[in-house]
Amino acid sequence: MLQADLYQPVSSVLELRGISCDYGAGRPAVQNIAFAAKEGEILCLLGPSGCGKTTILRAIAGFEPVRSGQIFLSGHLVSSPDHLTPTEDRRVGMVFQEYALFPHLRVQDNIAFGLRHLSRRERKVRVQDMLRLVGLEGFERRYPHELSGGQQQRVALARALVQHPVVLLLDEPFSNLDPDMAGRMRQELHDLLRRTKTTTILVTHDHDEAFAMADRIAVLNEGKLEQFDTPEIIYHMPQTPFVADFVGQADFIPGTVMNGMVQTELGDFCNTLECEEGTAVVVMIRPDDIHLVPTKGATSHVLSRQFRGSENLYAVSLPSGQIVHSSQGSTSVYQEGTPVELRVLASHTVIFKQSLSARA
Amino acid sequence: MTTLRRQLTSPLQLMTLITATLILLPLGYVMSQALSADPAVWSRLWSTRIPELLTNTIRLAAVVACLTLVLGVSTAWLVTRVEFPARRLWEGALVLPLAMPTYVLAYIYSYLLGFGGPIEQLWQTVAGPQARVFSPHSFLGATLVMTLDTFPFVYLLSRSALLNMNVSFEEVARASGISRVKTLWLVTLPLMRPSIAAGLALVILYVVSDFGAVSLLRYQTLTYAVFQQMTGRSDTAAASILSLLLVGMALLFLVTERWFRHRSRFYQTTGRYRTPARHRYGWVGTSLVTIYLMLVVAASFGVPAYLLINWSLSPEALATIDTRFYGFFANTALLAACAATGGVVIGLPLAYMANRRPNWLNLGCLQAAYAGYVLPGPVAALAVLVLCLNLVPFVYGSVIVLIVAYIIHFLPAALQSLEPALQQITPNLEEVARTLGLGVRQTWQRVTLPLMRSGFVVAWVLMFLQTMKELPATLLLRPVGFDTLAIRVWMEASEEYYQLAAPSALLIVLLGLPTLLLLLSKDWRAA
Repeated sequence: MLQADLYQPVSSVLELRGISCDYGAGRPAVQNIAFAAKEGEILCLLGPSGCGKTTILRAIAGFEPVRSGQIFLSGHLVSSPDHLTPTEDRRVGMVFQEYALFPHLRVQDNIAFGLRHLSRRERKVRVQDMLRLVGLEGFERRYPHELSGGQQQRVALARALVQHPVVLLLDEPFSNLDPDMAGRMRQELHDLLRRTKTTTILVTHDHDEAFAMADRIAVLNEGKLEQFDTPEIIYHMPQTPFVADFVGQADFIPGTVMNGMVQTELGDFCNTLECEEGTAVVVMIRPDDIHLVPTKGATSHVLSRQFRGSENLYAVSLPSGQIVHSSQGSTSVYQEGTPVELRVLASHTVIFKQSLSARA
Repeated sequence: MTTLRRQLTSPLQLMTLITATLILLPLGYVMSQALSADPAVWSRLWSTRIPELLTNTIRLAAVVACLTLVLGVSTAWLVTRVEFPARRLWEGALVLPLAMPTYVLAYIYSYLLGFGGPIEQLWQTVAGPQARVFSPHSFLGATLVMTLDTFPFVYLLSRSALLNMNVSFEEVARASGISRVKTLWLVTLPLMRPSIAAGLALVILYVVSDFGAVSLLRYQTLTYAVFQQMTGRSDTAAASILSLLLVGMALLFLVTERWFRHRSRFYQTTGRYRTPARHRYGWVGTSLVTIYLMLVVAASFGVPAYLLINWSLSPEALATIDTRFYGFFANTALLAACAATGGVVIGLPLAYMANRRPNWLNLGCLQAAYAGYVLPGPVAALAVLVLCLNLVPFVYGSVIVLIVAYIIHFLPAALQSLEPALQQITPNLEEVARTLGLGVRQTWQRVTLPLMRSGFVVAWVLMFLQTMKELPATLLLRPVGFDTLAIRVWMEASEEYYQLAAPSALLIVLLGLPTLLLLLSKDWRAA
């Protein structure tokens, strides 16, 4: 353990080195996951349900043992195949999906739950500080069931933060709130974490949430890390078709490399992959990069329209039968069947090799 | 799983294993006794007792099942689908018979139906002086008593099925132009089938393992025969063989019940709950409904309770309420309190391990603890007795043997309230305590145990009340002269001293009433 300490990069508060976890014998949950979080950073684990993101969170907390690899918390080895520091010695704070407030304790006692070592006076001061921080002054004598969902979440947050955890773990924190409330809490939480400079790992399946909250995002699929980058890079330069599809609507258009360009039904694109001539590739295009112009006699036509308030999302059928989506302003309304021409903003497209995109 | 984890949980794991072994040991011992018994004993039993006992037991169970089906479903349907005066009162009153142990009801009916008893007198004024009613000491008598005592199981299950059923199904049927009666047959009853079946399995289990009623009415069933083999002939080999048959039979019904209960989950309908529309009949219909319910409740609870109170207030009975009587009460309370405390303490690790680490080992241990369910009182007593005599003969005749038998017999009741209490505490609560710096033991003290308090209390109360009215194991295992209330009732009733048995019986019934509140709320299974 001493030896491991020496190899620690000083800057990262949390580091995962190639960890793998199992559900049971021979059923891997996550494989070879590696990433690190810097002090005060908000990291987001993003992926569909069953991708293993919660398993990683629980491994960091010390609830799940690792089969291989190591986890370091502020430079100390806490998890490895033959070492498991008990959760209570890790100084991690955790907010569960359903908050897990102790139903038999008042708000103040919930928050003070882990402060047994402090004097009564000091506990009280710390609890009041926390209540002020999360905006729940005057609620200290309530029981959890007397609070709304948003208030419960703030209590759970206060209870975790009052310990000054090395890292705060949030498991799908907004999934139990209605969308309006979730939006507001997202903003509040983000401000709070910035103010307290808390290193945070947040698990979610909602890419909007990840984009709004995270400094960096780790996209997971079937137990493997697909990409670890800033939200902007994840969205605009996804490394795999899975990431491209998961973080926003995307269409995949087949094409071939000819004369140094990728030729597709929607026109020619730069061959960013620098593939050989004749290679089959797919081009990812997002709906906001396709502009529709109604043109008499055009070969593509509008298939359907979905009104979304701030925009209209059109499905357009190309002559080959391929369907692409286009996002248009809220006021541009075209009837179904309208012939349209498509203008593609070629700068935003991403090209994958065909083999990579078998699923697309 | 890492070694560390195993270490953390090992004391509990060890306790779980030991408990399960201790519970299975007596049962296994009886089984091995039965299987290794002299073939001559087997063949003697096969040619003499077993055919008669099997026929009697199955006949009784089958007829009681049919009758409780009719009584239970009809009353449940009336209180949930028909509106009539004091409906809620009747809804509660129909559970009352469960507070009446079978031996109490049996002794009251042996008076009511007895030679020159009130029913016979009533019947003679109608049908002439030579008319007779059937004897209570017969198949019919046993059937009547068992039916009146057990129909609330079917009633409770049918009632909750009717209350939880999505009303839309019935409404769709009515909207398709099907009449009320046909809807009942085509939609309501088929949807209730799993609940009804589960209720019937409970009834059958109860009838098969009952000792109190059949012994007082001298109707030969397997359970009664086990008792007789042990007391009359001290023939533990024969008793073991009969026990084996009995356990096999009970197990069969238990598995059936589990299966139906499991299936009923899939039958449970989703969607928002709505109160079903209750039909209002005219005054003729309303009075018919009321008269029907009145007859059922009067026969199963009202008349017996009235008689018990009346007898208790008679001078003969009042004379028995002296220090001896208080002594019986104290004995009963002491035994029940010991058994309840022991059961809760032993049950907790079992329930905890099975819920938090549900591997085959812990689930197996929990199932082993439910074995008490298929052990009728005399068999539990036999099992503990045989084992004690062979391993630790010096405890024989002491209260310890009795308490062990009680715990084995009634542990399922405790587990059935501990398990849901544990399931309601999400593991997240324990985990969050760990993230807040608490160790395993502290987490138990400050989170798990405080949250389980109500489950504890319910488990304790249920086990206390069940032990309090237990009869056959107490009869077989009590130290000499150490009588309980149930014993007094049974002894006086066997001698037909109806008045003298009444105070003890009344006390048992009164103490049993709180259980019914639990039954009506949600924990009906723990009956």
